[in-house]
Amino acid sequence: MSARNPLLILVAVLALAAIACGGGGDGVAPQTTAATETPAVTIAPAAETPSPAPVELFPVTVTDSNGREVRVELPPQRIMALAPAFVEILFAIGAGNSVAAVDNFSDYPSAAADLPHLDAFSPSVEGIAVLNPDLVLIFFDPGGLQEALERLGIPVLFLASPSSVQEVFDQIELLGRVTGHEDEAETVTAEMRDGIDAVSEKLTDVDQGPRIFHELDAMLFTAGSGSFENDIYNLLKAQNIAAETGLAYPQLNLETVIVKDPEVIILADDPPVSVTSVKARPGWSNISAVIDDRVHVVDPDIVQRPGPRLVEALETLARFLYPERFQ
Amino acid sequence: MNILRRGVAAGMAAPASGELSLAGLRRSLWPRLALGLALLLIVALVALAVGPASIPLDATARIVLSRLPGLELADGLSTTWRDIIWEVRVPRVLLAGLVGATLAMAGATYQGVFRNPLAEPYLIGVATGAALGSTIVVVSSLSVSWHGLSLLPLAAFAGAMVSVVVVYGVARVGNTVPATTLILAGVAVASLSTAVTSFLMLRSTTHMFTIFSVVLGGFNTAAWPKLIWVVPYAIPAAVLILAHGRILNVLSLDEEQARHLGVDVERTKLLLLGAASLATAAAVSVSGTIGFVGLIVPHAVRMLWGPDHRTLLPMSIVLGAAFLILADLLARTIDQPSEIPVGIITAFCGVPFFLYLLRRARGAAY
Repeated sequence: MSARNPLLILVAVLALAAIACGGGGDGVAPQTTAATETPAVTIAPAAETPSPAPVELFPVTVTDSNGREVRVELPPQRIMALAPAFVEILFAIGAGNSVAAVDNFSDYPSAAADLPHLDAFSPSVEGIAVLNPDLVLIFFDPGGLQEALERLGIPVLFLASPSSVQEVFDQIELLGRVTGHEDEAETVTAEMRDGIDAVSEKLTDVDQGPRIFHELDAMLFTAGSGSFENDIYNLLKAQNIAAETGLAYPQLNLETVIVKDPEVIILADDPPVSVTSVKARPGWSNISAVIDDRVHVVDPDIVQRPGPRLVEALETLARFLYPERFQ
Repeated sequence: MNILRRGVAAGMAAPASGELSLAGLRRSLWPRLALGLALLLIVALVALAVGPASIPLDATARIVLSRLPGLELADGLSTTWRDIIWEVRVPRVLLAGLVGATLAMAGATYQGVFRNPLAEPYLIGVATGAALGSTIVVVSSLSVSWHGLSLLPLAAFAGAMVSVVVVYGVARVGNTVPATTLILAGVAVASLSTAVTSFLMLRSTTHMFTIFSVVLGGFNTAAWPKLIWVVPYAIPAAVLILAHGRILNVLSLDEEQARHLGVDVERTKLLLLGAASLATAAAVSVSGTIGFVGLIVPHAVRMLWGPDHRTLLPMSIVLGAAFLILADLLARTIDQPSEIPVGIITAFCGVPFFLYLLRRARGAAY
């Protein structure tokens, strides 16, 4: 078994975890060392911040997903956000100016693309420390990263990938508190709730929505119960054919999908697959979704990221699931 | 390396228990082969009959038999059932059998040529090369297909072949390819391609399900085009290797002796390794890296029926096919409706049986 590399398997497994945190995206982002960044820490909030973080609210103490109490002394000015969803949340709640570095997959909003990019899967303590952050947000710790950075006096928040819409709200509000943008965070979540309610209102008389198959990969990996995607489909009253697997990201086979007969197939594949190739799969010509021409490609970056754009994802999926109700 | 050296010294080099006469071989091979084929047939039929769709046995049989010319037995059965049996289950069972047979045959060949019991089909970089080929395709987000076959198996095959050619080229010393050099070159090239694969994965933005599938292997998307892709490599390789059973017996004892008997040792080695590697590369490209089959099946056959390659090779082919069909059946039914990577099953079921045989044989087979 010399040919089977444990590292390869480890990385693949880690990547499985990453998807829930929005590992999607296109193009290879180069790692920037950003030696030119000025590491000077300013106490005063940046002038261009729409609503400066009030210093009087600090210090703030929050509990992260590891159950650790993390104390932030002053409004963070140099946040290192090592997941695309963190970056999207921080920009949405008006803390975008405080983001100093992002992970390799962060490409939204466009302002994030110009920031230094770091590797979230093999993070380097030194690479992070040299950028002089005053708060580091991680969703994945390969072991000891949090302790190592805290030994250097850098507060680290470990926030696990949300597995439900409610957990996304919790994360947005927590990031609001820790950055001093509590009010904006609440505005954002209130708007998101309104967006979700608007969709739900059109579905009040729906008893049972269509059976769906949400494809993540041509090898038939999908999102099952306990995944963020499954929660979105629950809101849409759709019947996820993989929900009963009891696994967050199970792998199905050709026959299972035929037998479960999904009425809508959503392709969030990365690398992308074509609708034509999916319809041509062995035995799939008898599946309702194929017969009724309801196989749709979605942008995995929007659908898989547990951040503020989940309402956009919900609306997109609603249009595919209930075309007669959503125009 | 210590283990490797000990393997070379003690493992394979022990003399076969007497050259059997051709008539004696025929007497002993045919009953075993008949037994093996019967087992293979039973396993294949069970695998064909079991799945998430509850299709009655008689309907399954009618759908399969209706493919024979002149038999119109499937009339009145739903097209869904027909598609599930003919487009999904049949190619899946056949592909698992073909890959299992290929890996077991390649394992037996490698072990014979290298005179090393640790040799396995992925020894000279086929698996890591295939993984690298797939990773490059995934990372570059290409989505192309060719004659019904997606780019992924083609890239995996190309990666596997490049790896084999590089390893063989590096290990070549004049006209000879010393086993130790070949193994070391294989390990080195495998490490290099693994490093590149890991680097690309870390740097790519795409999620890794595809790579995960290639690394762990499986048949959940098996289809006719994949089967048709492997056959042109697997069948000629099997014919060629089976025809060399007697020469492999001599080679696995002593290359010097083989030379005295008039065998062109280097040419024969190249031919056998080339055939085994080509067939393995084709198998890996459609099934991913499935471990243990190529190592365990030939050893189990050796422990049961001795080291004569004229028995070892055909029995490894038959039992390799049966073993992987059975493992794949478990992979898709244990945790239904989700799949378990078949490599986990081959290890989980194969290894305890292998350890039992090892304990029972206590080296007697060698």
